[in-house]
Amino acid sequence: MRRLWAIVTLTWKAAFRYRLFWVMLGLLLLAVVGLPVLLKDDGTARGFAQIVITYTLSSVTALLGMATLWLACGTLARDIEECQIQMIAVKPIPLWQVWLGKWIGLLTLNAVLLAIAGACIAGLIQWRAKHLPPEEQETLRREVLVARGSLKEPPIDFRPIVEREFQRALKEKDIPPADRPFVRQQIEERVKAYYQLVPPGIVRQWIIPAGHVRNLNENEPLHVRVKFYVVRTNESGSYIVAWRFGRPTGPRRVPDIIKSMAAESVVEFTIPAAAIEEDGRLIINCTHAEDNVLLFPLEDGLEVLYREGGFGLNFARGLGVILCWLGLMAAIGLAASSFLSFPVAAFFSLTMLILVFSSGSMAASVEEGTIMGVDHETNAPSNPVIDAVMLPVFKGMLAVVNLARSFSPVESLSTGRSIPWETLGLAFVQVVLLLGGVFAAVGMIVLSRRELATAQGTS
Amino acid sequence: MNRRLVQYARFIVLVLCLAVAGSVRDALEHQRANMGMAATGVDLKNAPRALVFATVALGGFRGLIANFLWIRMSNLQDQDKYFEMVQLADWITKLQPRLKQVWIHQAWNMAYNISVKFTEPQDRWRWVSRGIELLRDEGLRYNPDQALVYRELAWFFQHKIGQELDDAHMYYKYQWAVTMTRAIGTNRNGYLELIQPATDDARERARFLRQVLKMDPALMKAADEKYGPLDWRLPEASAIYWAMIGLEKSRPADQDSLRRVIYQSTLQSFQHGALLKIDNQKKRVVLGPNPDMVARMVAIYDKMLADEPVKKDMINRAKRNTIRQCVFHLYMNNRMAEARYWFNYLKENWPDDYQVNQSGGDLDTFALRQITEGVGETDRVKTTAILMAYTRTAFLSLIEDEDDRATVLLDMCKRIWQNHQSRVPKDPGSIARLGLEPLSLIQSNVLNQLLAPESGLTPEAKAVLLSKLKLNTTK
Repeated sequence: MRRLWAIVTLTWKAAFRYRLFWVMLGLLLLAVVGLPVLLKDDGTARGFAQIVITYTLSSVTALLGMATLWLACGTLARDIEECQIQMIAVKPIPLWQVWLGKWIGLLTLNAVLLAIAGACIAGLIQWRAKHLPPEEQETLRREVLVARGSLKEPPIDFRPIVEREFQRALKEKDIPPADRPFVRQQIEERVKAYYQLVPPGIVRQWIIPAGHVRNLNENEPLHVRVKFYVVRTNESGSYIVAWRFGRPTGPRRVPDIIKSMAAESVVEFTIPAAAIEEDGRLIINCTHAEDNVLLFPLEDGLEVLYREGGFGLNFARGLGVILCWLGLMAAIGLAASSFLSFPVAAFFSLTMLILVFSSGSMAASVEEGTIMGVDHETNAPSNPVIDAVMLPVFKGMLAVVNLARSFSPVESLSTGRSIPWETLGLAFVQVVLLLGGVFAAVGMIVLSRRELATAQGTS
Repeated sequence: MNRRLVQYARFIVLVLCLAVAGSVRDALEHQRANMGMAATGVDLKNAPRALVFATVALGGFRGLIANFLWIRMSNLQDQDKYFEMVQLADWITKLQPRLKQVWIHQAWNMAYNISVKFTEPQDRWRWVSRGIELLRDEGLRYNPDQALVYRELAWFFQHKIGQELDDAHMYYKYQWAVTMTRAIGTNRNGYLELIQPATDDARERARFLRQVLKMDPALMKAADEKYGPLDWRLPEASAIYWAMIGLEKSRPADQDSLRRVIYQSTLQSFQHGALLKIDNQKKRVVLGPNPDMVARMVAIYDKMLADEPVKKDMINRAKRNTIRQCVFHLYMNNRMAEARYWFNYLKENWPDDYQVNQSGGDLDTFALRQITEGVGETDRVKTTAILMAYTRTAFLSLIEDEDDRATVLLDMCKRIWQNHQSRVPKDPGSIARLGLEPLSLIQSNVLNQLLAPESGLTPEAKAVLLSKLKLNTTK
């Protein structure tokens, strides 16, 4: 342990010797303090807090991420190229510990810088919030500077219903085998439409398990977020929707809400936690009398947010997820520099980063089922050979990349959503242990087996 | 030897490439400038530092960055995340400052697309005003000679705020009236004292008008003289103002749309161009017709006919319809001489007009037919005008001791009001958009108009009216 600690200390000393720590600290503080002055918000305190959190945290992550990659590539590759590593290699410390010590050194360096930057961001927002009128402070506290948990209707398993309907269709009609997949798909669409469409006068009911929030104070607000589409749009784009909470025939725990709502947009309204039934279920009923059909998507048609905790701890967990990403970047940089020269290692690491940023395009290709596009006349893929080879490769790469990209702490923090401890734990396992572990294993093995004396000096 | 030859050949190819590139460069720069796509040296001289930096430092990468920002903006909008929109629109427009469509699209997106995603009027107004600010404060700064930018800005005032298509139009009108009142005070022509402000208060208001609202009181005066009398607290006046400036600064070939905005806004100013009250409690305004606009409007139509002879038939039809409305409004406001003059004008110029023929060339019958049609519609503006006119006539009848007539007229007001309200759909959106003010409020506005010093009524007549209405001046 002492040996490992010695390498960590050396990494820290190098960071101070090359003034990296101070330069990074300066840049981070400049981003944190300077950006809010330059940014244009939508004119609300909530919008300001959201944009400040998004832009400052994103720029802190970008700055630290680039610096980590650069430093990780430099610290090991230069040590090898300038033969300084040979001074350590002759000491009674295995090379894998040298690798690990440098990684821990970088990670702790990042942790300190991130903590300082994070404290400045949180302090800045709290300071700004204190200077707002009381009602705006309340809005901020309720919607942004908070950790809100989410309640949703459990996903409906359509398979048994579709299967039953399909079997009934088979009995009623002689469907040729070639048409059966199409018929099954049509039935599935019809079943989904039944759950999503709300014609006038028909009640759509959401039954949401909320047992774990039953002990909330009954005046504590629950934020109901609704999004719906309409079959025919009217001139104003707004529609009157009636909401009832609880069993339709039972006593009213909470007053009904009749509200004009804009379609195709998230509309949020508040109800007291008293709406939760004694059995821990939150029952929400919706109907309307518009000459129209409303469509509530299954995925995001209705969601209920409740206060799960304060902003501070949630913010710290968000920073924890970012630190996991930085840990992975340090592992990539160190693994690359274990067997590559500094410029090549830096190039390799940046390529990996670009790959991660391109995952959106890869995901789009996988979703469309083609990379080179479709011939519009024949409706067949333009280049089936490339698709056959590359699509599985893309799918594999996406599966790996999504292990790290599936977390979005900045978005959660800016929208006041909770980042649970489980998410932080999952990030640590997936990003640091799994992905970082692979790069660490490769780096340590290669470094341990490398003939260090053959390295070409650069000076 | 061969190697040297290859080197010479390479060098010659290099020089040729540079020469070709150099020869087409001027032509390309010229084309870019002509198409308004380049920020030229002259443009950059007084441009803000952010724009100079974006233009010089980013060079050709500006397009790429702008593309990235467009994609991000589009994605965020799909996800209903709007808090970055103002910032992204700012960056995108700064990266492509001379592309007028970029400014127009970004402002329109905020004022029309994003605003209607919100339910609360104050949220909607925030986005409408952001759209206006983007064009007025930034877009025109970089594109001071582009008719389309002026047209779009004027259109926001005329259509988004001035018309009644948005559920929150009353709130928009209220907010704009409050904003303009801060600058020009409670008089429709309060801008006059801001041309040469004499007091500290006037100087401060002039600063607000010039620096925040970007309006010049001298130009407002010119617009008022040319197209008025306008109430500058209403959006139509601003629409006319910006269209008028656009006409002065843009190329003649692009000015058709600006003229159209002026014509339409003038018509709107006639229909509901009198601001009767700013209701701070309900956050709405009470509007009435502005019959003083009639002569001005007809003159505008005549000019339009002279400017656009190819559209003679269409403009003539519009002019005829407008004069029909004018006759009706003048008649209802008891301005009989003017009503008769324009009715005769209508008969002389359109002798085969269906409405005139149906009324047998009689003004009273003509007006009555208009009323019958008006009360059968759910046109808020027209019904309000009818109610105000009936009330006015009833009050004047009281002064003339024709109490029975007044009673009948006031009773008819009540029925017209109830009839209109019964036709309005019962949802809050439609009520806010199409519903009438309470009848008592409409009638008290008419009373206030009659009691005002400029009404022309003698103090005795006012006293008679107050006495018959069982009111007294203290009250």
